[in-house]
Amino acid sequence: MSWISRLRSMLRRERLDQELDEELRSHLEMRTADNLAAGMSPAQARYEAQKRFGNTTRLKEHTREVDIVGWLDEAARDFRHALRMLRRSPGFTAVAVLTLALGIGANTAIFSVIDSVLLRPLPYHGPDSLVMVWETNSQHPNPHNTVSPPNFLDWQSRNTVFSSMAYIFDERDNLTGNGDPQQVVVQDVSTNFFSLLGVNPILGPGFTPENGQPGHDNVVILGYGIWKERFAGDPAIVGKSILLNGHPQTVVGVAPQNFQWFIKDGSLTGAKPQIWSPFVFPQSFHDHKQIGRFITVVARLNPGATHSQAQSQMNAIASRLEQEYPDFDGHWGVNIVPLRQQISGDLRPALLVLFGAVALVLLIACANVSSLLLARAASREREMAIRTAIGASRWRIARQLLMESLLLALIGGGIGVMLAVWGSNALLAASPRNLLDLSSVSMDLRVLSFALAATLLAGLLFGFLPSYISANSRISETLKEGGRGSSSANRRAFARNAFVVAQFGLALVLLTGSGLLIRSFVRLIGVNPGFDTSHLLTFKVSLPRSKYDTDPLRMAFFQQLLARFAAVPGVRSASMESFPPFTGLGAATGVHLLSQPQQSLMDLPVANVRVVGPDYFSTMNIPLRAGRLFNAQELAQEKHVTIINQAFADRYLHGVNPLGQKAAIHMKSLVENQLQPSEIIGVVGDVHQMGLDAAPEPTVYWPHPELVMSGMTILVRTSNDPFALASAARAELQQLDPELPLAGVATMDQLLADSLSRSRFTMLLLGIFAAVALVLAAVGIYGLIAYSVTQRTQELGIRIALGAQRRDVLRLVLAQGTRLTLLGVAIGILAALAFSRLLATLLFGVSATDPLTFAGVAGLLVVVALAACFIPARRATRVDPIVALRYQ
Amino acid sequence: MLKPKNDLLQGTLALLVLKTLARGTLHGYGITLHIQLISKDILRVEEGSLYPALHRMEQDGWVTAEWGSSENNRRARYYRLTARGQKQLAEEEKNWERLTQAVAHVLQLA
Repeated sequence: MSWISRLRSMLRRERLDQELDEELRSHLEMRTADNLAAGMSPAQARYEAQKRFGNTTRLKEHTREVDIVGWLDEAARDFRHALRMLRRSPGFTAVAVLTLALGIGANTAIFSVIDSVLLRPLPYHGPDSLVMVWETNSQHPNPHNTVSPPNFLDWQSRNTVFSSMAYIFDERDNLTGNGDPQQVVVQDVSTNFFSLLGVNPILGPGFTPENGQPGHDNVVILGYGIWKERFAGDPAIVGKSILLNGHPQTVVGVAPQNFQWFIKDGSLTGAKPQIWSPFVFPQSFHDHKQIGRFITVVARLNPGATHSQAQSQMNAIASRLEQEYPDFDGHWGVNIVPLRQQISGDLRPALLVLFGAVALVLLIACANVSSLLLARAASREREMAIRTAIGASRWRIARQLLMESLLLALIGGGIGVMLAVWGSNALLAASPRNLLDLSSVSMDLRVLSFALAATLLAGLLFGFLPSYISANSRISETLKEGGRGSSSANRRAFARNAFVVAQFGLALVLLTGSGLLIRSFVRLIGVNPGFDTSHLLTFKVSLPRSKYDTDPLRMAFFQQLLARFAAVPGVRSASMESFPPFTGLGAATGVHLLSQPQQSLMDLPVANVRVVGPDYFSTMNIPLRAGRLFNAQELAQEKHVTIINQAFADRYLHGVNPLGQKAAIHMKSLVENQLQPSEIIGVVGDVHQMGLDAAPEPTVYWPHPELVMSGMTILVRTSNDPFALASAARAELQQLDPELPLAGVATMDQLLADSLSRSRFTMLLLGIFAAVALVLAAVGIYGLIAYSVTQRTQELGIRIALGAQRRDVLRLVLAQGTRLTLLGVAIGILAALAFSRLLATLLFGVSATDPLTFAGVAGLLVVVALAACFIPARRATRVDPIVALRYQ
Repeated sequence: MLKPKNDLLQGTLALLVLKTLARGTLHGYGITLHIQLISKDILRVEEGSLYPALHRMEQDGWVTAEWGSSENNRRARYYRLTARGQKQLAEEEKNWERLTQAVAHVLQLA
């Protein structure tokens, strides 16, 4: 086939058309002349010649298709025609384009987020062979428990499935020199951490194995952000020293800009790292008895090793360790999680639900546009019939109508992409910082291809049925009946009804999902956190161990600090605790109640340990349920006392008076005879420390002297706006020690809001999509009923002329809408029952089949549908019988 | 008069047109007349198939076309066989012979 000559032909198409016309005309004339010569009458001669040509238009088209790249030419012609048709009915075009823009825009926006969060390659070399290795305990539900260093060492020496393993744990350190003191998050890592991830620093050599030797580990790699901000992007930074907690550390590298390592599970700071420092296990870390579980482990699978091979080998190793160290490793196993799954695990269910929601919105939008096209096609039936009569083939007509649909879709898609860019960046700006790790959503090629694919698919989807029906309508029928009562009109009416039913079904699914999330969120914020969150300022203060190297020094510092804070005007009281609530941070351990039989460490009751300062319970407003609070002596010296929460009493001391009981809390040592048991002196109310959606866990409170920590969260109860006191607090801290930074300043209400942000955000988005779906479905049923009232004007006129009351007409029209709505709602309920289970992981305190939500949503849909039908129904009652009977 | 309404197979039509043009240049109408005449009215070429076929052959370079005037001084488009068309004709004739022989064979033996 000679494509070039055909393409060239296309350029001289008009001349070719003329030539073909002339060639065929000469043929006709010659045949006519011969017919005349054979004795026919002139008219007969001409008719006979023409008849032999059959459908001249089709003949010409076929011949032209040979001459040029026919479809291309016709597509261009169809395109121009489609553009004309759309311009001719701007109202229809605007509604259809807007509907599609909403649908495609929402899909593109959500896809761009999914693409960034779930699909983009991670910024590590060979990310697919990276896995997280966690410990799990068959008696506790946490599948991602941090790892104990001696177990890590055993895994490392015994496994054959990993080419290397690295460990990480994080802490907050004080960075001083070069300006104001600053608290930074430092990840202490094994020296192979960067090489395992396959990441090279952009400056400097990075860590060498030598840095793993004691005495050679005073080196750091700076994160790109802190290098730019605090060190002004100094290109000669490598080799210089920085002061971390007062210790000089040599900079040996700067991490690439896109490098990040943040695994929320197991992070002690809950924050992203800014500096990396090598950490060498001291000798004590080789002893199973002396060290707890606190490191995070990442490993690279050997080439060819699969995830399940690794899991089964590690299971075997874990069960041997269980036998070797029953006290320490009893019930402990290993859980291997691919890195990608680990990182996206939190967001995946919410994102997939949202993606499903926007897909439904697009389907509803398609049904709407399809329905509009059907209504329009009915009024264009004559146009199509005439085109068929003068020789257009069915395929030709279908193609032209499809072209109109695709054009609509493309315009809608274009506007949709713009909406998506605007919308997703607005969403990111509105979304809480801790939700998405994205600064902006960019419309790259992948996202644009997705948008184009969604657009074309939508165009074909909503365009197919209308063009199919139009192309297959019977010309003779149409021309005779004026478009009404013909078989294609019946098919269209059926299709439009089906679309309305489908829309209501889909809308119900979406509304149910959104309703469940709203109910769940209301339940969530209705949970009493167990303390008063208002007017409470929090921040963190960590003392460098180099300067504050003894417990009395640390205790004295915090006592002075709290006394200073308490004296600030506007402060009602001030206290401190080891971990702030709602951040998912805490420390838990086994507690042996001496009144109960001795068990191995792993079988002991587990409790959270929280270390608190003076006036803690009054500052937080946590009620005392029994016994007493810590007195001044207990807050000044180690007196071996503890206060437990209600959950502890209920779970472990059910039916027993807890006061006076002795508890050996395995925090400072895991060996019982090295422990001095604490006496339970009081019981306080439960606090939802881990978030409102988590049940309060059994907790023991220790006064600060029992376990002197160097980093504490300060709590300041104020009479007015807590933020107004942040600078006063900073000034007090600077006076006490100018080297110490005030970190993580937030109000308790903010921490609470942040902990709810994901639920709120998901609820908000799904709510928006459900509202869009509801509006589209309402518009859909309004359009259908309005159209049907117009079509039935004559019939309604006759009814009114025969004495039908307004009420009867109203009922007649509303009944049509109600039937469709109820059918849609019934189908929707079945679908929602099947789909709402997917939401289960996002729900709190509400069942996925909550009858109240289902009933409420169904009722809402029926009300909205009736309201939408009421407008055309009222118009129907005003039909003037005289006008109606003259109609058409 | 026998007028079977057999629309000729695409390949057969090409063969007939090529063979007709092998005798000399001719316009479209002439081709239909010629085939009808030679086949004693058994084969009738539909205009609806002829012109697309002629234009396809032109695109494929088997024939060329130019405007000329007919016996009655009418402007008509005359088709002429090219060298490539000759080769194609020989090819198609061979194919046709093979096909008819095969069919004849089947008819004799069946």
